[in-house]
Amino acid sequence: MSLYPQTTTYTQMPYPAQGYGAAVPPQPSYYPPPPAPQPVFHLDPNMFRRDYMTRLANLTVNSRPIIQTLSLIAQDYSRYADVVVQCIEQHIRRVPPWMKLPSFYLLDAISKNVYDPYARHFTPIVVRLFLDTYEVVDQQTRSKMEEMLLTWRTASPTGRELFGVVSQLAIERHIWGGDSTQNAQSGSRDSGSISQAQVLSELEFVLGQKERLLLSSPHDDLTKHHIGILQQLRGMVQVGVPQRDLQAILTQLRALTTPSPPPAPAPQPYGALPSYSPPPSITGRVIAPQPPYQSQPAYPVNYEQPKQEAMDISRFLHAAAPVASTSTTPSVSMPDISGIFSALLKAGVVSASSTSTGAGASSKHEEPNEPADPERQARRAYRKLILSTKIKLTSSDVTRQRPRITDILYDRLPTQCKQCGYRFSDNSVGKKLFEEHLDMHFRQNRKATQAVGRGHSRSWFVSLEDWVSADSGDSKGKGRADGRTVSSKAVAAEEAAKREAELRAMFVVVPPGDEAKAISCPICKEPLKSEFLEDDEEWVWRNAVKKDDRIYHATCHAEAIASKSNLAVRLLGEGTSRSRSKTPEKATPPRAHATSNGELRQSETPTPSKLAGMKRKAEDDHATAVKHEGDGPQAKRVAT
Amino acid sequence: MMTMDTSENVSVHTRQWTLQPESEYRFELDPNTTLAIKLVSGHAEIFGAELAEGKAYIFGQECKAAVFTWQGCTIEVTGHPSVEYLSDETPMSIYANVHLALEQMRVRALAAVDGSPIPEDEGDDAIGIDPPRVLVLGPENSGKTSVCKILTNYAVRAGQDWVPIYVNVDPSEGGWAVPGAVSAAPITAPIQTSTPAATLGSAATSAPNHVSSNALLPLSYWYGHAEMRRNPLLMDRLIRNLGENIRDRYENDAEGRCAGLIVDTPSSFAASSSSSNDHRLTMIKACVDAFQINVILVVGHEKLNVEMQRTYGNRMAVLKIAKSGGVVELDAAYRERVHKYQLHTYFYGHVMQPPPGLPSKAYVQGGEQTPDQTMHLSPLSASVNFGDIVIYRIGEETMAPSSALPIGAARVVSEMQPLVVEPAIGGSGLYNAILAILAPPNPDESERYDEEILDLPAVGFVAITALDIPNRRMTVLSPSPGSLIGRTAIVGSFEWQE
Repeated sequence: MSLYPQTTTYTQMPYPAQGYGAAVPPQPSYYPPPPAPQPVFHLDPNMFRRDYMTRLANLTVNSRPIIQTLSLIAQDYSRYADVVVQCIEQHIRRVPPWMKLPSFYLLDAISKNVYDPYARHFTPIVVRLFLDTYEVVDQQTRSKMEEMLLTWRTASPTGRELFGVVSQLAIERHIWGGDSTQNAQSGSRDSGSISQAQVLSELEFVLGQKERLLLSSPHDDLTKHHIGILQQLRGMVQVGVPQRDLQAILTQLRALTTPSPPPAPAPQPYGALPSYSPPPSITGRVIAPQPPYQSQPAYPVNYEQPKQEAMDISRFLHAAAPVASTSTTPSVSMPDISGIFSALLKAGVVSASSTSTGAGASSKHEEPNEPADPERQARRAYRKLILSTKIKLTSSDVTRQRPRITDILYDRLPTQCKQCGYRFSDNSVGKKLFEEHLDMHFRQNRKATQAVGRGHSRSWFVSLEDWVSADSGDSKGKGRADGRTVSSKAVAAEEAAKREAELRAMFVVVPPGDEAKAISCPICKEPLKSEFLEDDEEWVWRNAVKKDDRIYHATCHAEAIASKSNLAVRLLGEGTSRSRSKTPEKATPPRAHATSNGELRQSETPTPSKLAGMKRKAEDDHATAVKHEGDGPQAKRVAT
Repeated sequence: MMTMDTSENVSVHTRQWTLQPESEYRFELDPNTTLAIKLVSGHAEIFGAELAEGKAYIFGQECKAAVFTWQGCTIEVTGHPSVEYLSDETPMSIYANVHLALEQMRVRALAAVDGSPIPEDEGDDAIGIDPPRVLVLGPENSGKTSVCKILTNYAVRAGQDWVPIYVNVDPSEGGWAVPGAVSAAPITAPIQTSTPAATLGSAATSAPNHVSSNALLPLSYWYGHAEMRRNPLLMDRLIRNLGENIRDRYENDAEGRCAGLIVDTPSSFAASSSSSNDHRLTMIKACVDAFQINVILVVGHEKLNVEMQRTYGNRMAVLKIAKSGGVVELDAAYRERVHKYQLHTYFYGHVMQPPPGLPSKAYVQGGEQTPDQTMHLSPLSASVNFGDIVIYRIGEETMAPSSALPIGAARVVSEMQPLVVEPAIGGSGLYNAILAILAPPNPDESERYDEEILDLPAVGFVAITALDIPNRRMTVLSPSPGSLIGRTAIVGSFEWQE
């Protein structure tokens, strides 16, 4: 008896003669979607090992359903993390070189999506494993591995190296040689050599990202423009540029990819390929698990990163393009792609001569020329099918028996989601939708498991304007990728209120002896209120956060940071900001929860089963987004 | 013809049913029992929503439904339904044909938007290029809602990204809001069936959802009563409001418009008792005008069909379709209980206990894979001052003091007049009442008008659970956090006690 039903279907999977992991779209055969991991009890780790090994054996081709299933199991059995890690390592080492990449993608998926404890468990082995594999695989696989390696730089939930800086550096140094630069921050101090191959490989990565972005929104002129420039850059690098410029390009590229990955909820990182490709780090972060955040410092630290990078970029630009920069305003230092090019141009690195125009011309050539739109074709075929039935809306016509309905609702749509029964056609449009649909289930599953401990509630309805404007996420085709819309004002407002409540719940312990000292927030100049925490028997400053030895209002600080990072994001001309995906609510230490006046009661009921069906009691003055925090009566109540 | 394998166990009641093509398994549940149905082989659907094989779908709260199969299937049923039987007499082929005819209208409409020519031989010129906007009429217990669901679900399942708008103008049904509301919602995924508390799917919550029909974004107006005759003028106005906003939405979305809309109506639209006759025809006319109806389906009512043919037959398709033999006569007590389930589900959600014999947790409720994690809701109970919310009652004689009435108004007021309800006065009728919280009025003072609150959609519903007259405070159960201060609310005739 198999522990997981529906798996036997995978075993017969034919291995395609070529094209694994290649850019060639995989064979059109249909992969069954991942079965929902059943909550089966594995009492015995050996049994689990055997079962996981068996399932791993099916991972012979790059199939995202299988990879998702395996990572879901890994997530559910994180108590056997060591077993999973051993299995995967064994598997990678044992299989022939052409089969190794899919398993690496699995390693990648588990580490990014589940993160804790897996990244930790993989860290000791990943360097050796990566390099050993890299040695034996062909050039095509190598470039795929390099691509994956690049995403690891920022794939941890905090935007740091997935397996730590040491591992990352070790691998990069080995592959690209020289004193590889770690990240944008260290870019300025670096003087070592960078290989052309490394820059090219990173260029290809960014280019790939942008092209996928363009696929999802074909009318995005900015992205088109970016791609054009990146292609020119590629041409230049291939011809050969001095070491100094390689460094310049590299740094800018990283600045481009790191702070503003593609809009998080969009599934485009996967492209139209039904195979797994390591998602750019942000994808991992959006669905990154909760626990690691708790060990992190309070959220503002996270906010600081984009800001620092922005500053570094500007500093770098000044260095790289001394002619160009005359002003010190941040707008000049915006890390725009065209900025790279123009900066290089102005610095005289690149001459605006025939070479670049030639490259530009060729890049125009590569722009997606409009073949017959597959979506339109599918529509046309459907219209033909529907109109070929002669039927009128009359009582006599509809009572005549016609068997065509099963063609239309079933046979024409052979791909069925095993989770919800929804069907898709097997043409390219249907395949893409099915991929998005599977992603949606995956995301919702993750969210559901993460949400343990948080009470859910019925949302307020959207405003009339949102409803009428029809782009609140539910218009044609858009709503399907995600179960529900997040763009509506109502939800946003609710989130903002929640975020603010959590910010206000943060506190800093007053150093002994300073209880009487009056301090004020450097941003708003208002004094900080102190109060006595009964549970901890400590005096604290409420709504406070400590940064560089200064105490700020948590709300002021967050606002300041947010406006900065928003600016940076806007300047980047990219979509969703990273700060959005890292809502402070995730990063707020649990302790802060327990001390907010209104939240207090909520956090006493940590499980949904306890929360369920219970009213959340709250004074209205809490319900009104905590307008009067820490005022007289409450402070008194806490103190007594 | 039909076979049944019974493999009964002492405590666990599980049996397999084999359904022939185009037959259905019908069941009815008693209160406090649940039922699980698993598709073992073949293909099956419930009111047009296809089942996934091997998943245990769970039903409860007196759910009455049917599993239909076009191709034949085997299902495994766990639990004790009060009624269960197989039937091979269904009107499904008629409904499917209606769907095909509606699909023709949709593809033609889309072709017109795309600018693609339609070959002459591929259709009927008389039909034109209007997307289907369907009004479904029928007497009580004729299965109107089931017809609407099937037609909506088939459209959604076509794989053409149709997002039809489901309009519910039956205030006793409530749809995605609570009973007393009339609403419209775009449907992007098949509407699931598991409980009468969420017949049409449910409105969005903060929890993640696998099926987007469990996270709908309705536009909702509050009528406040179960029966149409209580205030037909108000009903008329709300229907027109819905229609106007749907038209606005269509103007922004030419492609979305092609999926059309389907309007579910109360049985009172079809009732032929002389007293409400005028209202009835006015209401139908209101719907036809407001939603620009071009197809009228009359479910199992010959006389109404003739009447509609006479009135509208020259302007649009009017056709009678058979009602299902599976419809169940529902009494007032049942409807009362369903209102209670609905209100409870609106605030608290509802997670069903699986029937004995089903492995715990491994079941699907309303399409959701982890109901225990996502279908429990926590409403918020807040205390507010009387002055914080302004509460109106529409067009009824109230116990409001004369001072609260407009100057010059007598005790008897017009049906459409909003009257302030003063909670401090005994007999205000607010205790246990359901209030609709309205969207904020126009921020531009000059744009405001006297009866504006009649045209404001509801953003949610609250229940008054305690009134403290001496301290002028009341306790309000609210679906989710958010300030109620300064909001405008309307009270109707619905009450609810936990």
